[in-house]
This record gives sequence, structure tokens and C-alpha cells, in this order.
Amino acid sequence: MTLEELREKSGKTLQDLDACAPEEILRLFEGVRELLEQDARQLATGPASSGGQDAARDEELRERWLSRKRGLLTLINEHWLKAAPKPLKPVAGVSFNKLHARACEIFPDNVAVAAGRKAKASSLPDLTLPGLRRPLGSLHPITQVQREIEEIFINLGFSVERGPEIESVYYNFDALNIPESHPSRDDWDTLYIDAQTVLRTHTSPVQVRALEKYGAPLYIIIPGKCYRRDNPDSTHSPMFHQIEGLAVGPNVTFADLKGTLDFFARRFFGEKTRTSFHPSFFPFTEPSGEVAISCPFCDGGGCRVCKHSGWIEVMGCGMVHPEVLRHGGVDPEQYSGWAFGLGVDRYAMMKFGIDDIQLFFQSDVRFLGQF
Amino acid sequence: MRISLSWLKEFVDVPGSTDELKACLTNLGIGVETVSHAGEDLLLDVEVTTNRPDCLSHRGIAREIGAACRLPLKKVQVNFQESAVAADSRASVEILSPELCARYCARVVTNVQVKPSPAWMGRRLETVGMRPINNVADVTNYVLMELGQPLHAFDLNSIRGSRILARRAKAGERLKTLDGVDRVLAPDQLVIADAERAVALAGVMGGEESEITASTRSVLLESAWFDPVSIRRTAKAQGLHTEASHRFERGADIEMAPLALDRAAGLVAELAGGEVLRGAIDVYPQVRSRPTLLLRESEIVRMLGAEVPGGVVERILKSLEFEVKANGAKAWSVTPPSFRLDVTREVDLIEEVARHFGYDRLPSRLMIAPPRPERDLIRQRESEISEILVSLGYRQIITSSMISPAENARFSSKEAVVLQNPLSQEASELRTTPLPGMLAALRWNLDRDQDDLRFYEMGKIYWRNEKGQACERRVLALGLTGHQTPVSVHGEARDIGFFDLKGDLEALLQRFAFRALCLDSTGAACYQPGLSAAYEEKGRPIASFGRLVEELAAGYKLRVPAWTAEIDLEFLLEAPQRARSFKAFSRFPAVVRDFSLTVPSRIEYTRIAEALERAACPELASFAPVDLFRGASLDSAHYSLLLRVKFESHDRTLTSEEIAAASRKLLDALASLEIHLRGEAPAEPTSPRPPNSKSKFQA
Ligand SMILES: [Zn+2]
Repeated sequence: MTLEELREKSGKTLQDLDACAPEEILRLFEGVRELLEQDARQLATGPASSGGQDAARDEELRERWLSRKRGLLTLINEHWLKAAPKPLKPVAGVSFNKLHARACEIFPDNVAVAAGRKAKASSLPDLTLPGLRRPLGSLHPITQVQREIEEIFINLGFSVERGPEIESVYYNFDALNIPESHPSRDDWDTLYIDAQTVLRTHTSPVQVRALEKYGAPLYIIIPGKCYRRDNPDSTHSPMFHQIEGLAVGPNVTFADLKGTLDFFARRFFGEKTRTSFHPSFFPFTEPSGEVAISCPFCDGGGCRVCKHSGWIEVMGCGMVHPEVLRHGGVDPEQYSGWAFGLGVDRYAMMKFGIDDIQLFFQSDVRFLGQF
Repeated sequence: MRISLSWLKEFVDVPGSTDELKACLTNLGIGVETVSHAGEDLLLDVEVTTNRPDCLSHRGIAREIGAACRLPLKKVQVNFQESAVAADSRASVEILSPELCARYCARVVTNVQVKPSPAWMGRRLETVGMRPINNVADVTNYVLMELGQPLHAFDLNSIRGSRILARRAKAGERLKTLDGVDRVLAPDQLVIADAERAVALAGVMGGEESEITASTRSVLLESAWFDPVSIRRTAKAQGLHTEASHRFERGADIEMAPLALDRAAGLVAELAGGEVLRGAIDVYPQVRSRPTLLLRESEIVRMLGAEVPGGVVERILKSLEFEVKANGAKAWSVTPPSFRLDVTREVDLIEEVARHFGYDRLPSRLMIAPPRPERDLIRQRESEISEILVSLGYRQIITSSMISPAENARFSSKEAVVLQNPLSQEASELRTTPLPGMLAALRWNLDRDQDDLRFYEMGKIYWRNEKGQACERRVLALGLTGHQTPVSVHGEARDIGFFDLKGDLEALLQRFAFRALCLDSTGAACYQPGLSAAYEEKGRPIASFGRLVEELAAGYKLRVPAWTAEIDLEFLLEAPQRARSFKAFSRFPAVVRDFSLTVPSRIEYTRIAEALERAACPELASFAPVDLFRGASLDSAHYSLLLRVKFESHDRTLTSEEIAAASRKLLDALASLEIHLRGEAPAEPTSPRPPNSKSKFQA
């Protein structure tokens, strides 16, 4: 093949040239390469020399092959490669790349080329454009908070225990020492399935179930969904999430309850958090208490979140009532225990500054995307 | 409950500032919701737990403050002169149902002048949230707020036969109560009756006909003790919650009845004139006594983890009016007072000690539980599955377990668990499927112009099995709309398609070691045929997924195609996981060859894959379909498949002869499915081409 023939062929497609098999294509490229090497030998200057007429001639040779508009390789790329049938593209592509690399080696950059390169660079994409992101998913804020709480207790040696959401009246009330006529049964505002079955109103029934299953000693936390017959508003949801804790052992005291929950509060709300315990009433604990923490938002100085009291009530707790232990098959003279219960939804609201519990269950991506 | 500070001071010298009083009450377990000014007085809104009806009065609160601050509780003022006429000559009391009425005390005051109360009384009642009525009715309310004992005043002239009977209502008996409601009563409800008819719904509300009016001259004051359970049921059945029923249902103080009665009689005499007749009628068939409890010092230590000095224990209990006697060196015999019905066990006494000692003063000790060696696989698996889904771009959602019957029926034929007392029809059944919640979540966002959605929910479904038992099971739901690749300056957008969802499921399921996972190309009825499928393991459904049929999508007003999946999460949580053991990879280069195959249209890809796997070709490392097309030069009975195959050996570099032999083995296996190389006669397979090499191409 002569230079003239190549000039002609570089304006045609592979199909026009009848090069439909790889070996024909390879042969074609081999011919081009021979011509390129011929020109390489005509170069007056070595890659390191410069100046004068020689340089102008070298530049002419370079233009012959690499000119951005009329260079032979530009034309080959345009006509052979871009129009090649799909199965032939790989072969043609690889051959062309080799050839182009060789041409760049023979005709290295000079000032004019650098200028051309610069012009070319301005047609490169704007690298300040945003990257192509693969969207990441996210855990629900309630799950995030639930896991965080679970992990604090798991690190203290507790295991996670679970129970049914459809629960018997026995486990939900009777076994927890809530007598049939006690006003607190009204307080729970229970959703009934039938006279003997409810949607559990708290995670406490799992206390008795777990005691029956494992006996004492037992150190567990119980996360899960609970239900009450509350009309939905910004602070109430008929479906909500609780975490219950239960520690039953031979020497478990109120002091352990205080120390452990104090540790939990400092881990979860910040190490400067102080806790305060005051009496309360739950049928399944005795003595019963509420835990208040120094407001983490104002350090106890008073703000909207703590209603300007400096303190926020965060959970109910107490020593497990002897009747509950007995229902679980554990001798209250031999073992004692403590328990606590907290609302995960409320913790998530506090942690993230969410003012409406309904947001958790609307599934709005503008909400979910923030956590 | 509202507490007036000035009233409180009549019973105890409240020390310190308001803040100190607030802190003191909180530490005793009496929450102070608000403190506000009421004229010159200060009003405290306190929250009393349901076990402490004794604190539902000024005197009860004062007793707690007195015990906490070591101050004496002042006496109740009772001043009146009895007249010479005996009360029981004017009225008689009989308890016919002692199981519902354990004590009934009454006094008669004659020649009263009913008129508005003096200003001080009206102010006090208004401060604590009660409307002044007249001097007699106001006295009963005043004593209720002061001592916690509900009282009632009857116009004695309207009491027929001057007889007071405490009896069960007759079936269908009627009574018009003070609120003007004509009520039908039932036999489990206790009434106060005269010789002929019911005159009050005992412990709940009086009757209109015996109400105190301006013309009332003689008053019968009632101070009684009614059974808490019965009052609670009656109040609930009649839909009537009053200050009186609130206290009786929690348990009033049976020994307070005569004192409260005398206090009221004195006040009536003072405010309405009149004469208090001699003697209180007191019908108390069986005197109640409190049990004596043993309190051991050792038990205090065992429960509280602290030693409270014996002297402190005694002082606390005595200041709360418990009787305390030493029982040996390290124990006491303690009798709780009549107003502390909540104290029935040793541990209740320990709570009293802890409460007044101060929870915050008790010691605190971090407890480390002995950790168990068993791993919590459920928690671990749930986290792992969540991790995969989050990395695939799914956001977790939580939707309601309670949905409408219509929605359940739309997606599932399972029998639903129905709520007896739902909040609304829309939330009256437990969900038998997670799809309605998922679709509602998609719609919520689509309605707000947020189209590119990928959600997952891990939750339960609930149903009744063949035996009618309520069951629950964990499921995983996926929901997708919008783009797989969103529109951007870098390239074209692409919508989510079947294979995007299938690919996500494959990424999830490949973690598990299934024995015979297979794809059934008929998806659930809620999906479009040809765009849905189901995974089964040994005939057991694991996952069902696809594009929602148009009618359902329209029903949920989804303006773009929606894809969902329902996966049996509980199965995945329990399924064995793919073994994670290291398998050495070859040190020798692999060789890649492309096979351009002509495949009969009826042969699905999965059969090709099975045939290759069964071909017993040890050099076969992997294979994948890289191109597929129909039509053009092909007849309609065939399609063309470009299969990329990787060969390798663990102990040598494969020679071209070995590769040709291995290729032949694979082609032979495919030949049984009538698959052959494109352009070749079925009988004579030739060597296939490498993808990017110089070897021969198929024409
Ligand atoms: Zn604050």
C-alpha cells in the first residue's frame, strides 16, 4: 500500500474495503503501520533536537498523521472505527490504539502540539460537574436508635429476646400483676382481638415468657412493636416501639438498677448527663420509679424540650414485682430483679429533634433521607 | 389533681420555696405538672399515681410533706353542737348489699338555710376547679377535696319513709341523675334507695329528685365506703366519671368516713345554720382490719442494695401512720393504716422506706451481666440483610400493622385477624400482606413529586391458620418506582425494569445456601404476567415479585409503574447461609471464548445454564450470556445467544487443544437441547472464537 492508496482508503469504511473478518482488518492495519514507520525514518531530527527547517518538516509529517482535522489516523478513526460493525469493533479498536500510541511516540509533543493540546483540553468535560452517584439507602431512624440502645446493653452482657405482638390477656395483664378490675387496664387503652387476646400494649409480657423459658439468672432486653388505642396525633401513634430491659439474678438490687440505667443514659445522651430517680407506680414493679435525665439540649439550664425544668423523664423502671417472678416460675425469695421500659419513638424524636411522631410512619423520602 | 397552697398550709407548715416544695413532691412520687397563681393563692397541679387514692386530697398531700420534712400533721377542725333530737329518730340506714357497701355513716342537719356559700368557700372551690352551687352541696365538695372522702347530701324531705337503703338496683330500674340524664340501671350496680325508689347511684352521682334546693330544710349527709370494683364497673357502664367515683374506684379510707361526716356536719351548721341532730348513724357490719406485715432488715438490703438504719426505717413508717413494732432484733411487725390499701406486702413497705429515704440518696452500682455464649442470629441476619438492601439503595420504612379489610382482600386470600375495638374501619384488621403499606408509601412520595423510590420494610404479617389460631410471621417487602439510572448531564436516564428488581433479589438471595432455588415465571395475581415471577425452594414460596397490574396501580393512584416484592424474611433468618470457606483460585491464566449460539425459542436460558453445569467439564470456570437477539437473519423458531465462557485449570496453562476439547464437551451438552454454533451445521461443531483475539470469527 502506498501513501496515496491509504489516503483514499482512509475515506472509506471497512465494509467498503471488503474487510469483514478480523484477519483482513489486521492486515490492513499492518499496511498502515508500515507507512507510519517509513515516515518515522524520514524524521530529520531525533526526539530531542529542535529548530529550523527540519522542525518544520517534522511538523509536516506529524500533521500528516495526527492533524486533528485531516490527519490519516483521524480519518481512520472516523471512517473505519466508528462505522465498524459491532463484532469487528474490538479488533479494529485494539489495532488502532496500538497504531495511535506508536504515532504519538514517533511525533512527540512540541510547542505547537502543546498549544493544540491546550485547545483540546478546553473541550474536555467540566470536571466540576457533580459525579454520578449511586444512591445509598438508609435505615429508618427508629431502627438506628433501637440498634444503638440494644448495643449499649449487649455490651453490658444482655441478650436480645423477642415475643409475639398478638398476645394473650394472661401475659399482657394477669401475669404482670395487673388485676382484672385495676384502673391501669383502662390506662393501657388496649386493642382487643377477642376477650382473651390483645395486641400487646407493652413489651413487658416477654418478661414472663422469657423467665418461663430460661429461668433465672436472666439478663435480657426486649425490643418490639406495641399497640394502644390512641388516636394518632403529633405525640401519639396506635403503633409504637418499646425496649424493655430485665435483669434477674441472685443479688440484683435497686442499686444495680440505678447504676446500670445511669450508665445507659450517659452512653446514649452524652457522658455529662446526670440522672435522677423518683418514685412512680407500675403494677409489675415494686418499688417503681421514673428516670429523669438532665436536659442534654440546655445542660439543665431550661429550654423548650425540657419545658424549662432542666430535666426530661425518659423511662419507667423498678424492681420486678414478686408476683411477676412467681408467674415466671422464679422464687422471689431466692432471686430478685429489675426492669425498665422506654419508648424508642420518643428517643428518636429527642435525638433527632423530630416534633411529630407521625413522620416516622409516613415514609416521606425527604424525612428518611435526613438520617 | 389541683392543690391550693393556702389550704395545704392548714394541715402542715409547708417549708421553703415553691421550687423546693415541687422538688420534695417529685421525690415522693407526686409529680407537679404546673404551678400557677390563683389570686393570692398558689395552685399546684399534681399527678397522683393510681395506687395512691390517699393523696387525692389536701390532707393526704400534707401527710406526705409532713413525713418528708418531719413536721406534724395538724388536726381536722370539727366544731358543732349536737341538738337534743337523735338522728336515728328522723332517718334509718340499712345495708342490704354489704359486699358492695362496707360502711354507711349518716348525719341529719335540720332547719338549714340553703343559699350561696360565703366568698372564701367559693374561691377555694373555684381554685381547685369546682363550681360553687350552694352552701350545702359546696360543703360536700369541700370535704371531698380536703379529706378525700366523697360525701353526698340528700334533701331528707324527699326521702320517702325516711329510710336509706344500700341495695343493688333492680333490673331496668330508672334514675334521673343530677346531670339530668335518665338512666336505666342493672343489678350489678349499687344504688342508694329510699323506701320506694333509687335516689342515688351509689358512689357515682346523686339523683335529681333528692337534690338540695333552695327550699330544702333538712339534710341527710352520707359518708360511706363502696366496693372499688363495683364502682368502677358502674361508672364505666354508665359512662359517668365523677370526683366521687374516681376516689371510690381507687379505694377510699373506710376509717375516714365518720371524721369526714363530722367535718361536713360542722361546716353545714356553720354556713347554713341549722341543728346537727344527735349522734351519727354508722352502719359498719364487719369492721375491716389491716394485716400485719413482717419487714426484715435483710430484705431491705437485698432489695435496695443499701443498709438503711433501723431508726430511719421506723421514723419513716411511723410518720406515714404505719404501726411499727420490733419483731426480734432485725425485723419489725408493721400494720399499714386504713388509707393505704396499696400496701399489702413486705416489698411495699420497702418501697415506702426507699421513697422517703430518697431514691437519689440510695447507692448506685453498674451491673455487668454474665454474657451468654449463644449468638443472636436473628439480630445478626436482620442487620446483614438490611446492610445489603441499604447498599443497593433501599430506604427502610415502617408502616402500620393495621389496615382496612378491603386492602387485605385485594392482595391476599389469608383469613385476617380482626380487631374487636379498632380505632377506625381503615385500621380494623391486621395486615395479611405488607404490600398495601408499601404502596401507600410509594404513593405518598409520588404525590409529592418524588419519583425515584426504593423502599424496604421488615415487619410482620398476621393471619388465622386453618385451626383459626392467630399467627404472625416476619416478612420483607420491597417497593420501587422511577429510574434505575436517573437523568443527568452524564448520560441518559433508564427506568427500573424487571431485571433490576430481579438482580437486587439475586444479590440478597445469593447469601443463602439454597438446595433447589428455582424461578417460577408466573408471579402473584397482583403482578403483570411476563413482568413478574416467584422464587421457590423445594416448592415452598420464598419471594414473589413483579410489576403491579395497571388496575391496582390506578387504584392506588400511582402515576408511574410500581415494582414490589414480598419475601419470606423468617425463612431467610432461619435458612442456612452460604458457606464462607476459602477456595483457592488458579495461578494460571484463564482463557475466554465467545460462543455465538443458535437456540430454539422454547429453550430458556436456565436450561442452557443447567446443561453447561452438568456437562462435566472441569476446565469450565464460568460463563455468562453477553448478547441476545431475535429476528433479522434468524427464523422465528430460534434466537441467537452470545455466551462468554471462561476456561481455566488449577495446575497448568491450558493448551489450544485442551480448550478445543473442553469447548466441544460444552457444545455436545448443548446439542442435546438442539443448540448449536451459529452458521454451523448441528453435526459438526468447530472451535469457538476468543472475544478479542485473532482467531476466526463466525460470519
Ligand atoms: Zn432543656
